[in-house]
Amino acid sequence: MTIELSRRGFCMGTALIGLQAVSSSAFARTEDGTVKLGLVAPMSGPNARYGAFSLRGAQMAAKEINGAGGIGGRKINVLAGDSQGTPVEGVSATRRLIDQDQVDFIIGDVSSSVTLAMQPVVEDAGVLLLNAASSNPKITYKAGVGGFKWTYRNYPTDENRALIVLQYAAEKKGFTKYAVLSVDSDYGRAAIEFTKKYLPRFKSQILTEDYYKEGEVDFRSVLSKIRDSGAQAIIMYGNADSTPIVGRQMMEVGIAGKIPLIGNAEFNTEKTIKAAPKALEGAIEAAAWLPAYESEKSKAFVDKFTAEFREAPNNHAYVHWETTHLLAKAIEQAQSIDREKVRTALSKIHYASAVGEVTFDDHNQARLPMILLEIENGKPAIKGAHSAEIDYPK
Amino acid sequence: MFYTIIEQVVNGIVSGSVYAIVAVGMTMVFGVLRAINFAHGEYYMLGTFGAWFAIEYFDLPYPVAVVIGVVATAVIAVVVGNFVMQRIVGAPAEAGVLATLGVALILQNTVILVFGGSYKFFSGGYIEPVTLFGFTLAEQRILIIIVSLIVFVGLELMVTYSRMGKAMRAVSQNIECCAVVGIDVRHIALWTFILGAGLAALSGVLTAPVNVSVYGGMGELITFKTLPIIIMGGLGNVRGTFVAAMILGIAESLVATYVGLQFRDTVGFATLMLVLMWRPHGLFSAQARF
Repeated sequence: MTIELSRRGFCMGTALIGLQAVSSSAFARTEDGTVKLGLVAPMSGPNARYGAFSLRGAQMAAKEINGAGGIGGRKINVLAGDSQGTPVEGVSATRRLIDQDQVDFIIGDVSSSVTLAMQPVVEDAGVLLLNAASSNPKITYKAGVGGFKWTYRNYPTDENRALIVLQYAAEKKGFTKYAVLSVDSDYGRAAIEFTKKYLPRFKSQILTEDYYKEGEVDFRSVLSKIRDSGAQAIIMYGNADSTPIVGRQMMEVGIAGKIPLIGNAEFNTEKTIKAAPKALEGAIEAAAWLPAYESEKSKAFVDKFTAEFREAPNNHAYVHWETTHLLAKAIEQAQSIDREKVRTALSKIHYASAVGEVTFDDHNQARLPMILLEIENGKPAIKGAHSAEIDYPK
Repeated sequence: MFYTIIEQVVNGIVSGSVYAIVAVGMTMVFGVLRAINFAHGEYYMLGTFGAWFAIEYFDLPYPVAVVIGVVATAVIAVVVGNFVMQRIVGAPAEAGVLATLGVALILQNTVILVFGGSYKFFSGGYIEPVTLFGFTLAEQRILIIIVSLIVFVGLELMVTYSRMGKAMRAVSQNIECCAVVGIDVRHIALWTFILGAGLAALSGVLTAPVNVSVYGGMGELITFKTLPIIIMGGLGNVRGTFVAAMILGIAESLVATYVGLQFRDTVGFATLMLVLMWRPHGLFSAQARF
């Protein structure tokens, strides 16, 4: 009898302590005067480099904002969660940030599959998720009027990329006939699906369509076919490692300098151009951002980042830096850290980013320009930032 | 139209020549050891890495790098041959499969451990295109075809006339009888293996300039390309291997042109299934060994 009583007492005691802990932390959240920002990114695992760049970018932005007095007097506090680049760990990290760290806003993840898994979690919790680096179009097909009210994305999608490349090729180069040579993966095939969706808009057609396996080394046959097909450009969404091989064999079959590569497969690196200078001449590639982009804000960021970390920033550092500033601006305009108000402010925002003005459409997808590069005289030349409006599936 | 077909046949012959040099080594090793060498592609990779290393780190000219790649691979083959391949002689078939698969994993991962898993850029070779009878080919590809022909003529002469070649044929026909008449079977097995590995390495070094990328896992693809060829050619049959390699090269090239690049790798295995159904001893005489 005495034992039972003490056990009951123990249970009630723990419950009370637990309740007190919950209520005190709830108080802390509203009254300690900071904005808690969760950052979900791959801090370990094969993509740890991306995570490290993302965190540095976000922390640098937070430091800048706090140094200038915070947002309406509130300091930003960045709390990192490790997704390891996998959906399972990404969801756990998101839950920890929401339940234990009690964050109000989350930026994340880099990998599209992780972001897709995080969407329902933040939706249930009513925490604002602002993605900065995932490119799968499905994320915002399912957001805004598409379903998830708490997901926003400030990054161009694979669909944006396919459309912008096609638009540039059609309008600036006058191409209408294309050959496809992409990698046989979700990425390569999806990019071509999106390209096909917009072909009628530019009265263009695809004459030949081939997909190569990772590790493929013999492109002679398919390149000869492309040469004889009358195509004006080769649409390639592929692996960086295959581009030099394709370039060399383009020179062999005699289409180098006549039929340019367009799309995305690291056409602009020094290594690739060196392997086949003549084949890469005139290649067109779209990027979300790159350190060489000529704008005052972009250059200032590159200089500051390089000075602070003794390493040039990559795309992930930039997008997380810019997105943290974007969120701060939305909080400032909402004049509150109330999530509902911040979300409304974000939907209406006109934010001046380093690549151009950012606004959100009804799918919570940022209308963002992409930077186009063209290889001229063996060097990548920036052809400005371009944007295009996406047709959402009905 | 006609021009396109001829050009694609030429493309096929070029890839066929590469397959042929790799496959002939594998088929000879099978003849002597009665074991499919699943590590064969790794010697192709090692040869390429040897040459890449010589060019990247010591700035040596390409012809010297070819020699270094082949010699380095032969040295590794001596070690593997002494410790592993000699013991396979007369052992059950599964021992050969396991041992060679193990060797493949060790060689591949050692290279990845030492040089890293990323793709390397191979800068040597003669890649300028030349026009020959109206077809444009890289000089290197013409070199590949010529070397392939020399290798096959040389091998034919060797197995027909030289003492070593005759011994190889004898071992592939009957191991016990060889032992009775005083042929050192283990010695022959070792040398056949070293020769096969050296040929694979040579093929790797020759193709590196046109394939550009060098990486640890490159041998695996070659092993799986080679399997259907040696089975089509008749296991252990040198001439059959040459013809089978050419057939596969040309068939792949035509499929890539008229069907689609993504279907090319199915050609080898589809042909393999047909051959196994109708001519399980290979397309050529079942009796002929070497």
